[in-house]
Amino acid sequence: MEKIKNNVFVKKAGFNKLVLACVLLLMYIIFAILSPSFLSYNRILSALNYAYFLGFLALGVTFVIATGGIDFSIGPVMFCAALISGNLLTQSGIPLAACLIISLLIGTVFGVLNGYLVAYWNLPSFITSMASMMIAKGVGSVFTKTQSVSWPQKGQANGGFRVFVKVTTDNGTQIPTGLLFLLLFAMVCAIILNKTKAGRYILCLGSNREAVRLSGVDVKKWEMLAYVISGTMAGVAAIAYVGAYTTVQPGLGDIFNNEAIAGCVMGGTSMTGGIASVGGTIIGVMVIGLLQEGILAMGFQKDWQYVLTGLIVVIAVYVDVRSRKRKI
Amino acid sequence: MGKNKEKKNVITGNPLVKTIGTQKIVVVLVIILLALFFCIMSPSFRKYSTVVSFFDYSYYVSFMAIGVTFALITGGVDLSIGTGMIACGLFGGYLITQKGMPVVVGIIASIALGLLFGLLNALLIAVMDLPPFIGSLGTMMVARGLGSILTGGLSITWPSSNSPQGWFRKIFKIHIGNIDFPIGVVFVVLAVIIMSVILNKSRPGRYIIAIGSNKEAAKLSGINVVRWQSLAYVISGLFTGVAGIAFSAIFQSIAPGTGAGVELDAIAGAIIGGTSMTGGYGTVVGTLLGVFVMSLLKTGLPYIGLQANWQQIITGIVLIVAVLIDVIKIVKAKRARSIEIG
Amino acid sequence: MDKVILTMQGIDKSFPGVHALEHVNLEIRKGEVHALVGENGAGKSTLMKVLTGIYTKDEGTIIYEGREVEFSNTREAQDAGIMIVHQELNMLNHLTVAKNIFIGREFMSGKLIDDKRMNLEAEKLFDLLNIKIDPTEKMGDLTVGKQQMCEIAKAISHDAKIIIFDEPTAALTESEVEELFKIIRDLREKQLGIVYISHRMDEIKEITDRVTIMRDGAYVGTLNTEESTKDDIISRMVGHVIYEEPKSVSNVAPNAPIVLKVNNLNAGKMVRNVSFELHKGEILGFSGLMGAGRTETARALFGADPKESGDVFVNGEKVEIRNPKDAVKHGIGYLSEDRKQFGIITEKSVSVNSTMASLENYMKGIFINKKKEKKIAQQYVESLNTKTPSVDQLVVNLSGGNQQKVVIAKWLVRDCDILIFDEPTRGIDVGAKNEIYQLMNKLVESGKSIIMISSEIAEILRMSDRIITMCEGRKTGEISISEATQEKIMQAATLRN
Repeated sequence: MEKIKNNVFVKKAGFNKLVLACVLLLMYIIFAILSPSFLSYNRILSALNYAYFLGFLALGVTFVIATGGIDFSIGPVMFCAALISGNLLTQSGIPLAACLIISLLIGTVFGVLNGYLVAYWNLPSFITSMASMMIAKGVGSVFTKTQSVSWPQKGQANGGFRVFVKVTTDNGTQIPTGLLFLLLFAMVCAIILNKTKAGRYILCLGSNREAVRLSGVDVKKWEMLAYVISGTMAGVAAIAYVGAYTTVQPGLGDIFNNEAIAGCVMGGTSMTGGIASVGGTIIGVMVIGLLQEGILAMGFQKDWQYVLTGLIVVIAVYVDVRSRKRKI
Repeated sequence: MGKNKEKKNVITGNPLVKTIGTQKIVVVLVIILLALFFCIMSPSFRKYSTVVSFFDYSYYVSFMAIGVTFALITGGVDLSIGTGMIACGLFGGYLITQKGMPVVVGIIASIALGLLFGLLNALLIAVMDLPPFIGSLGTMMVARGLGSILTGGLSITWPSSNSPQGWFRKIFKIHIGNIDFPIGVVFVVLAVIIMSVILNKSRPGRYIIAIGSNKEAAKLSGINVVRWQSLAYVISGLFTGVAGIAFSAIFQSIAPGTGAGVELDAIAGAIIGGTSMTGGYGTVVGTLLGVFVMSLLKTGLPYIGLQANWQQIITGIVLIVAVLIDVIKIVKAKRARSIEIG
Repeated sequence: MDKVILTMQGIDKSFPGVHALEHVNLEIRKGEVHALVGENGAGKSTLMKVLTGIYTKDEGTIIYEGREVEFSNTREAQDAGIMIVHQELNMLNHLTVAKNIFIGREFMSGKLIDDKRMNLEAEKLFDLLNIKIDPTEKMGDLTVGKQQMCEIAKAISHDAKIIIFDEPTAALTESEVEELFKIIRDLREKQLGIVYISHRMDEIKEITDRVTIMRDGAYVGTLNTEESTKDDIISRMVGHVIYEEPKSVSNVAPNAPIVLKVNNLNAGKMVRNVSFELHKGEILGFSGLMGAGRTETARALFGADPKESGDVFVNGEKVEIRNPKDAVKHGIGYLSEDRKQFGIITEKSVSVNSTMASLENYMKGIFINKKKEKKIAQQYVESLNTKTPSVDQLVVNLSGGNQQKVVIAKWLVRDCDILIFDEPTRGIDVGAKNEIYQLMNKLVESGKSIIMISSEIAEILRMSDRIITMCEGRKTGEISISEATQEKIMQAATLRN
């Protein structure tokens, strides 16, 4: 075991991530054996659809968890953004490009709210984000008068945004462009986290906030930024969601919070802060996406997903907490 | 400036005020003001039926809030009470409607499942030492899935008041002539009295407060922290089960997959009533008053044109304000202690 | 000799790298108030921790009430009648006084707690001790002094035979001290054995019967309080063991400009009207005992904690320092005394830690210039002789001394002109200590100015050009190195107003 762990390639890629990737592969094989439909391209696309928007959510919340906090508002914020910007698109005739930007901005607003309360007022992040989750649910619903919103189809006017998710060539093959965008965003996030001042401060303040503050850094500003990123990414996720699923209903969305968080923690991002892995988050989200698809394919109720995700979160956090305790 | 300070002390120093607690008095005033506000703004609010719906909503939230108060007092939280309540109601109802069991069995089953959730939380939080919000989040998700899996995704309806099995509905509401009497209030008040006594006058209650006040000091004083912290979550789970019964008795059907969000109403109620998020302080009576504030908002807002979705926004804002006040209270107390000249 | 209730003989205790107790003896009699004195690090609290079962001794015997005992935890010691009233009280602030005292041993009436009876019993206890406290008051609302008395009452209710007071008067007012002494005298009448750990010579002279002095983990001797003078005690506390020759004369040029001036700094009760100046190229030593307020002063000055009032001048210009960012901007760096909590970011590398205070200077556009970062980190690893396999090594894997060097490097990378070193050599072995001393001398030679807070008098005397002493939040002495002696410093460090 030690030999494997010390191997150069393993060290570079990260032991955790490789294990998770193996788990992903294993899961796929098992599902394929149990249900041959898994070998079809369509199944994979379907799983990817789920992983897109979840991936954006998870990327955003990775930054928050890196500071040692949590953001429970991301799912409903995503829906709120999708509802409001979709409503503006379909009912008020606002141009598509503007609506996409508005979606992002709505996410940013919630991020600012969460970040301000947590960083400057020292409110506990879980309660604050749960409260803004309620507000997001309510705002989305009020805006659309509790109606659900359906974004335009591919062929229709303003349907051009679908290209962000999937492109169908003339002979019928579907190219999952969404995956490309997700990986692009993931790379950008990884660069921010590992190579910029923002990422450096965010990770360090998650590890030891006071030491960073005493080094002359304005920790409040950077802590708030993490939440702003999380909120904005929820706005991006909204576009990915409607691109894949078209219709958004008000009032839902919390399940995605937990799945996004589960993806992060599985991928190696630590709940106690200071350690984060974008690559791990992506693989973790893929696992959840595949799991979700598997449950559907096997004919189980979606509710098993809730149970399983709950278990995953608990187990992942437990392992994380134990391993951190041992180190220090 | 000095005169104002004196005036304040006359009020807060008054022994009656001290016993009851300033926060509770403020909350009662808020309730009165809110009620007046709604009465003035909307003539239809002043009907008797409003009172009935007020209590309808209050029952299950009160029970949840009473339970979660104990978890909050230990410095933790129980996020599973919302989905847990639904799961308990579904489980009990499932046994009655699908398995033909008598209602009594359904009631016992609901409470039993609640206790099970409480034990799960206790294991995750008190024994495995997970952060309370993560541990109870896990339970919340398991509860959400379980209830639904059990009933195959279908809603469950406990026996209606006309049917022979429907007697349990009369525990909460009696229909005489054309009028509904919300006698469930009696049970809520009973629960408040009993739990208040347990909290303040029993050893487990005392130790739960001690753990929330200073876990280390409690340990050093010989208190079995794991055991009593577990009890707090078991109590929370127990009341989740009771809330499930109350919910089923008032509403026609229970839909799986719902319930997420209600826990925040209960938690907000507890915090408004004076229970501190950092632990060590909380009163069951205060919690009930806080729940009344939330119920009043929920009942009254539609009358001024703000429908259900507005309530979510209001709940979110109220929760933030409540936690903010809690944080400010703590900061003020810390500052006062450090300034005292030694 | 049946007046003796406790005999600790030949107690030896070591920790990795540190011989904390060397054959220490202590004898406590019934009906006696016995002082235990010594500098910081002399071993007083370690000895008490051995007695009460928090630590296990390596050698020696403890004879209590005629039998040899060894307690494995505080509960056992408590049950036997040995109680400590700690310096930092650990109370259940949300509960009332009576509830605190009887926690775990509540009086029951049926299945319910009988609070009424508890309040009565608490009142009885307070009457016994002549204390006026309302048992129904919330513990958190009481002053520290009153909380302490509750702690004493609790000890009595446990049927204590020996009560150990650890720096009991640190947070008390004059009148509260008087009340405390009344209680202690009363306890003495009742034939309890009292151990009184304190650095306040006046109090020791007033209330104690005998004094046991410790120094560097060793037992120096026991004196009869009445027959001894303050100087007798102090001289035994400091001894004459020094690393090297103390600095004989200041290295500071007579016309050196004032780089830092602090006027009337006030921050709570630990920083009261502190004023001082720092010259260019000077090492200003801040001496005093634990709890003197030196760290609090440094933190208030650095903006780490809020201050109530006070002016700070850097190079003659008044500056506003409201947070560490402001301080760093004005060229001030602060090396905190607890590097694990406040100094290093444990799970990050040496290079990341090194540039934590200067990241803006290591950017390439919006990206961190990691190459430049590693280069500067390597530069300081070499010049400070930090033992690490590479600059990518995680700081948590380095030894204490090398971790300290990384923190120092952080401020050097920032090129601060004014450096505040708070206990710079705490927990560091001799070799590394010398390296840090040499480094400090090099720094002031190159024109930097240093404030060095230290509880080791030897270190203060070796390094400082000038020494300021603090006691309980106030500046109590200022002396140039040429006139400084251990006794003078210790006297100023124990000087209460």
